[in-house]
Amino acid sequence: MSGNMSGQPTPKTFQLVQSTVINHQRICREHYRLTVSCYNFANARPGQFVQLSPEMNPQTDVGESCQPDSAQSGTDCEASLSTPALPFLPRAFSIGGLRRNGSTCEIDIIYRVVGVATEWMATLRLGQCISLLGPLGQAFPIIQEKPRAFLVGGGVGIPPLLWLAEALTNAGITTTAMIGSTTKELLPLQHEGNPAPYEDAREARLSSTEFARANTPAIISTDDGSFGFKGNVVEAFKSHVSANASESSRAVVYTCGPERMMQGVAVFCAANDFECYVCMERSMACGVGTCQSCVVTVRSEGPGDWRYALCCTEGPIFENSQIIWD
Amino acid sequence: MSDATDSCLPDLRVNLGGLALSNPVITASGTSGYGPEYAPLFDINLLGGFVTKSVTLHERPGNPQPRTCETASGMLNAIGLANVGLERFCVEKIPFLSQLSIPTIVNVAGHEVSDYVKVCERLDEIECIAAVELNVSCPNVSDGLEWGTDAKRLASLVREVRQVVSRCKLIVKLTPNTGDIVELARGAIDGGAEILSLINTLRGMAIHVDSRKPMLANVTGGLSGPAIKPVALCMVHQVYQGCTRHNGIPIIAMGGIRTWRDAIEFHLAGATAVAVGTSLFVDPRSPLALIDGMRAYLKRHGLMSIQDVIGKVQLPEK
Repeated sequence: MSGNMSGQPTPKTFQLVQSTVINHQRICREHYRLTVSCYNFANARPGQFVQLSPEMNPQTDVGESCQPDSAQSGTDCEASLSTPALPFLPRAFSIGGLRRNGSTCEIDIIYRVVGVATEWMATLRLGQCISLLGPLGQAFPIIQEKPRAFLVGGGVGIPPLLWLAEALTNAGITTTAMIGSTTKELLPLQHEGNPAPYEDAREARLSSTEFARANTPAIISTDDGSFGFKGNVVEAFKSHVSANASESSRAVVYTCGPERMMQGVAVFCAANDFECYVCMERSMACGVGTCQSCVVTVRSEGPGDWRYALCCTEGPIFENSQIIWD
Repeated sequence: MSDATDSCLPDLRVNLGGLALSNPVITASGTSGYGPEYAPLFDINLLGGFVTKSVTLHERPGNPQPRTCETASGMLNAIGLANVGLERFCVEKIPFLSQLSIPTIVNVAGHEVSDYVKVCERLDEIECIAAVELNVSCPNVSDGLEWGTDAKRLASLVREVRQVVSRCKLIVKLTPNTGDIVELARGAIDGGAEILSLINTLRGMAIHVDSRKPMLANVTGGLSGPAIKPVALCMVHQVYQGCTRHNGIPIIAMGGIRTWRDAIEFHLAGATAVAVGTSLFVDPRSPLALIDGMRAYLKRHGLMSIQDVIGKVQLPEK
C-alpha cells in the first residue's frame, strides 16, 4: 500500500512508464526488434515481461503519440500512411534485452506480427511514444551452484533467452543456446554465414550474432533444414546433450517457445534429471493478477492435486515439474 | 494546499445510500483483485471506494483457459468466478482491506440462496466492510437460470440476504441480459436493496476463423469495455427515470467508463457513483485522471458540486 498507510514507501516492483522508440528493425520475414528508451524503469531480470500499449491519455479519450511530428525515417518498420487500428488492451512481451545508462533504460522487444496489436507495433516510428507497464512476473532463477546451462528456444520464444544468456555468462555459467524455427525466413536472429544443413548437433558455434555477443555458442535448427541442423530444436537439444554427456551433467535447462516444444524439453529433462525452467505464454489483460485470464495448470498439494496458477504473477517462469501439460 | 485553494475546488463528495464517498469514482468488481495488486501504481485511498473481486462460499478454480479475448473496443471474459472462497478471503485479504481509509465493498456470488446468505452473514460481521454487492448474474444450480433475470426471483433472493445483513449496506448488481431492467431494479428494491449497481457484462461470443473454435473455452462470455457504454448509459437512464428518481435509491453506474466524459454522462443520466472496470487493464491509473477531469469539468461549468450534475440530463419535453 502507499506510504501514507504503513509509514513505509511501497517498493516500486513495477511501474507504468512512457517510453520512446529509439530503434525499430525488421529481423526476418515476420519478426521485428523494437528498442524503446525510458526513465527510472524498476529493477528487472531476465524472464520478466512488460505490458505494452499505445500511449493513453484519458483526458483526451484517444491514444496519442507524445511526439507525433518527430517520427523519422530510417527504420525498417512498416510506414503506414493511414492510422493503424489501435489495440484496446495492452500486450505482454518478454524483455529481450535491457541496458541502463544512469536513469535511462533501453529495452529490446522482439515480436512477430500476428494480429491487431503487432500490426500496430510494426508501424511505430522513431520518436513515437508507447506505454510500458513493468517489469512484471517472476524471473529465471540463476543457479550459481550449477556451472552449466542450456537454453532451448523456439521462434518468438527466443528473446527472453537472449537476455538470460547475458546474465548467465556474467554469472560465470557456461551456456549453450539451442535455437530453432520452422524455416530460415522465420529465424528471428542475425547469424554468421549460411551453414549447409548438418545432421548432428554435436558442436555449438558462435553462429548467432546476438548470442555470440553474450559469448554463448549456439546451435541453430530449422524444421525444414533450410538453415543449420535439420529438425526441430528439441531434437537438436537431445542430440547435443547425448553427444556431450560428460559436460551435460549438473546442467540447468531454460526453455521458451511453443508449448509443445517446451513440453518435449521438459519431458526429456525430467527423464534425465536436469533441472529445467519453462517460460509459459498466455494471453492476458492486466499483467498484475487482477483479470485472472492467464491460468496455467500446475500441480498442487491441495485437494484434487492441481490448481490454476496465474502466468502473470506466479509465472511466466515455472519449474518443469510444476506444470501439468495439456 | 491552502484552505483558500481547497474552497475553490468543486466538491466531489457523494452520499451513496449512507456511504460517504470523498469522490464518486470506485472500482468495478473483478478488475482490481482484492486491493494490493495495483498498490505499486497508485494509492487506492484516492478513490471514492473499493470493490473486491467476487467472493463465493467455497474456493473456485474458475474456467479453463482461454478465459478472455479482446473484441472491438472491449473484451470478453469467462473467468468462472475464480476466487479464494470466504474463509481464505477473511484470513488473507481482510488484513489489507482493513487498512483502507475508503469504504470497502465486497462483491458476493453464489449458486444457491444459502450460498449468498452464508457469505453475507459472515461479511456483515467484519467491521471494515461497508457494503456487500450481490452478483446475481450466476446461474441457480436448481434450474440453471440466472438469479438476476427475473424480478420475482431476484426479489426473493435479496429478501433472504436482507435478513442477515444489518450493518453493511446492501447493493444489488443488475444484469443487462434481460428484457426489462427497470422491472429488475424494482424487484431488487422490493427485496431490500439500498443501492443498485448496473450494468454487469453483456453476454457475447467470438469465433476464431482459422480454427473455427470459439475464442473462449467457455464458448460464451461477458462483454465489457467501451463497446458496451451506450447500452449501460441507456439502462442507467431507464432505471433512474423509471424507478430510482422517485424513491431516492442511488445508482452505481458501470459499463465502459474510461474518461471523465463517460463519468459525467453517467452522472447526468442519474448515477450517484461511477465504477471503472475494464479500463483499469488499459491504464490502471485512469480512475485518478477521471477524478481530475470531473473536477475540471465542474469548474469550467461554474458548478460547486457533483450533486449539481446528477440526474440533470436535459431531456426533450414530451
